[in-house]
Amino acid sequence: MENSVTVIGGGPAGLVAAIQAKQSGAERVTIIEREEELGGILKQCIHNGFGLKLFKEDLTGPEYAERLIDEVNALGIEYMLDTMALHITGDKEVLATNKKLGLISIKSHSIVLAMGCRERPRGNLIIGGTRPAGIFTAGTAQRLINIEGYLPGKRVVILGSGDIGLIMARRLTLEGAEVLGVYEIMDHPGGLTRNIVQCLNDFSIPLYLKHTITEIHGNDRVEGVAIAEVDASLEPVKGTERFLPCDTLLLSVGLIPENELSKAFGVEISDLTKGPFVDETMETNIPNVYSCGNVSVVFDLADYVAETAMIAGKYASDLVDKPSENTVRIIGGENIGVFYPQRYSGRGDLVLFLRSKKWIENSATIVVEPLDMNFRVPYARPNEMTRIKIPLDKLKGISGDLRVSIKEV
Amino acid sequence: MNDSNLSREIRSEIKHTIGEDVDVSLNDAIATLKGYVSTYEHVVEAGFTAAKFHRVFEVVNDLDYPGKTPFVPLPEQSDELQGMHFDVVIGGAGVVGGAIARALSRYNLRVALLEARDDVGTMQTGHCNGLIHPALPTKYGTLKWEMGYKGNEMYTKLSEELGFELKRIGTLVLTETLREAILSPVVIPMARRHRDPTPILLSRKELDKLEPGLAPNIRRGILLRNTGVVSPFEVTVALVENAIENGVSLFLGTSVIGLFIEDGAIRGVRTTRGTLSTGLFINVSGLYSDIIAGFANDRFFTIHPRLGETLIFDKLYQPVNNFIGASSLKTNDNPHSKGGGLIPTIDGNLQAGPTAVEVPDREDVSVSGDSVKMLIERINEGLSMIKPQEPPIDKSKIITYFAGCRAPTYKEDFIIEPSKKVKGLIHIAGIQSPGLTAAPAIAERVVEIIRDSYKIEEKESFNPYRRKVKVVRSMDNAERREFVKEHPLYGHIICRCEEVSEGDIVDILHGPIDIRTIDSVKRRLRAGMGRCQGGFCLTRVMEIISREKGIPFEEVRKNGPGSFIVKEKTKEGYEALYHH
Repeated sequence: MENSVTVIGGGPAGLVAAIQAKQSGAERVTIIEREEELGGILKQCIHNGFGLKLFKEDLTGPEYAERLIDEVNALGIEYMLDTMALHITGDKEVLATNKKLGLISIKSHSIVLAMGCRERPRGNLIIGGTRPAGIFTAGTAQRLINIEGYLPGKRVVILGSGDIGLIMARRLTLEGAEVLGVYEIMDHPGGLTRNIVQCLNDFSIPLYLKHTITEIHGNDRVEGVAIAEVDASLEPVKGTERFLPCDTLLLSVGLIPENELSKAFGVEISDLTKGPFVDETMETNIPNVYSCGNVSVVFDLADYVAETAMIAGKYASDLVDKPSENTVRIIGGENIGVFYPQRYSGRGDLVLFLRSKKWIENSATIVVEPLDMNFRVPYARPNEMTRIKIPLDKLKGISGDLRVSIKEV
Repeated sequence: MNDSNLSREIRSEIKHTIGEDVDVSLNDAIATLKGYVSTYEHVVEAGFTAAKFHRVFEVVNDLDYPGKTPFVPLPEQSDELQGMHFDVVIGGAGVVGGAIARALSRYNLRVALLEARDDVGTMQTGHCNGLIHPALPTKYGTLKWEMGYKGNEMYTKLSEELGFELKRIGTLVLTETLREAILSPVVIPMARRHRDPTPILLSRKELDKLEPGLAPNIRRGILLRNTGVVSPFEVTVALVENAIENGVSLFLGTSVIGLFIEDGAIRGVRTTRGTLSTGLFINVSGLYSDIIAGFANDRFFTIHPRLGETLIFDKLYQPVNNFIGASSLKTNDNPHSKGGGLIPTIDGNLQAGPTAVEVPDREDVSVSGDSVKMLIERINEGLSMIKPQEPPIDKSKIITYFAGCRAPTYKEDFIIEPSKKVKGLIHIAGIQSPGLTAAPAIAERVVEIIRDSYKIEEKESFNPYRRKVKVVRSMDNAERREFVKEHPLYGHIICRCEEVSEGDIVDILHGPIDIRTIDSVKRRLRAGMGRCQGGFCLTRVMEIISREKGIPFEEVRKNGPGSFIVKEKTKEGYEALYHH
């Protein structure tokens, strides 16, 4: 299988990467998907707000997925459903398993890693108390309501203000549950501003910043939680604790790229993004192995995921290995929380995704040194990713590190 | 000293300790405390004070305190079991009840094993840290010691027969002071006397090979090679499955709510599902054993729940190569506990704990934030004494934590004896550490007790080997390829973090033990125990349980009776509007 690409994961990243690879000339493209349908997390995201950039339309998650799946079918891209990729061997052989074929090995020229991310569970948050039924990650609750058709609870407290938690606050309210509040340990929300407005404010659901849950009560099912304010070092302030009766606790405390497969294969992982180190082509440290979407770094928007997947798909289909003679590092300078990709190898345009460390509400400037380029943005916030694009011709002849910073104006 | 003098002395000693007056009466060396004290701490202190007297065999502590909730037995809920007859009924399917059931299944007896919960081994057993203890730390001559060393020896054969994993990890006991180092050679004959086989005295040079980086004050060590680790839950499942394979009837979700006694002998056992007839009842009900004894008017001890909280660390956190016994690493100072420490699980994660906190509620399984901090501080402090080069840990290394209660009596030794009052009643109570270690020996002791009064014969059909349970996770590729070809459900992965297949789950749902909860699946297969903690597989496992067990999705539970995962179907309003 000379001209072939294996895509691991059939969510937005995997679908777009597969489509792009096929359109760019790959003869055989195979998607491996562990669930019973393609679409990944989009299947359960029945709210709108998807595709504003990619399709110039306001779509729901399933609609967005459907467009991509139709395209996959039209292009004759192969996919294996209910199939779990277990392992990748040194010569890029993917070992997978399913009911029909048992253990399967798939060998290809290129591999695109598109496994997405998982939700951070309760474990490494130190919440005391018991371990009853009624504690869900926001995404599990979303699946229960939107796919299985069951309400997880009636009186709900949400810990963390990540986007899925905010979306679920609205969703639970619409399904007749009472959402008592969203409690965020930081002094600013974790999710997008538009979700704070549309999912909390529009439904009069209170958001409590600098608060956390210190204890869970209830033996069989959740009966309540103890809530406390936190101090500057995020420790609960004694005397501020109060008991809040509820039957459900939703956790929306962050997402973690799912890289067990990548790590076992020897892909280098960044401590900052928790995803593979890549260059502007989305290629990892292993030649012809690419990484895109949320397995690389947690994005806020499916459209950004799609953009990285297009890049990965395009280069994955390129048969000619073009080892870069001149790879430079990208370095996060002033005010940079997260940045992606981490290398530039001189092969194409550089699309750079950034998260600000600080909240800059007035306009800010993104500076890429030593280039003579400044990008003006209306604001820079940790909860909203910023995207800039630097064309190839501006990067010609670069030899030293590229340092990116966000400066207040 | 006669009884009334002794009770006066106990009363004055209690007054001296807690500053409150209580009534003390003595009967057959059993001290009974009555009255009202101001706090639960005082209740416990009074109990221990009475137990300190050598002539007191046990303490019944009936002291009241503010907020005390009386025990109310459950009502009878059905009569499915009404009138069934068994030669022996065992009340409680923890590791000890399971070991007894399996030991009795060797004989020509009709045996029933009753368990109040929906699964075996969920209370004290399920919350225990899994250590198969050496005998040295237990007080010589006690029943705990005798059962402990005998049980430790029995585990090797048991693990072979029942197919559960046992790792003999050994304990490295470190001397921390010069005095300890000088005295350490004495420990060798002491360990031998305790029946720990082949204890070895190690020089600093030898220690350096086993455990590099020890603090300079550590001059010598003793290696006890018989220390082991198991999964207490896996052991219990294996024991009970093999008991069932050999004819024992297990009834889950069945609480004992009374005992029928006629002419001073057991005639029947009242349960929430009807009354069984039997002439022999074994009270092995852990945290509830005193209450069950009370059903026979034979309550001569009181269980005082002692909470143990434990943290589990990420597998990547491995500051020590060995299981180390050192006073600096103890995680509690309770004189009745061995002190806990940094203990490996069978899966290779380290556990810090347990704590030892006296609590009034037998069902207490809560972990306090303060205890989490305290455990981390103590481990860091201990490590800085033992291995000063190790960087301190923080809470990001904790992957989960749990708690559960031990079930000691005030005398703090095991009770394994036939009732002095009621024929056909055997009490197994006060079982705490090293109870897991002791379980097989306790079971043998129970067989001896029964053999004293009943004629029992071994049956030819007894098969000591449990069915083989295959999981895809542990197969190599070639084996797995063949197996999945034959059994397609094993090709479908449900829990991706721990690589659990649909076939694995279906198999255990139809195993000898009739399980039907999320936690039962999780405990057996680790589905939902991995990095995502069930975020992905929860709903899939619910679907499989619902399908295989024929129960509606919304009735699938996490564990106990009220632990439903979901509340109701959505769009109920819509359905109500159009269908009524």
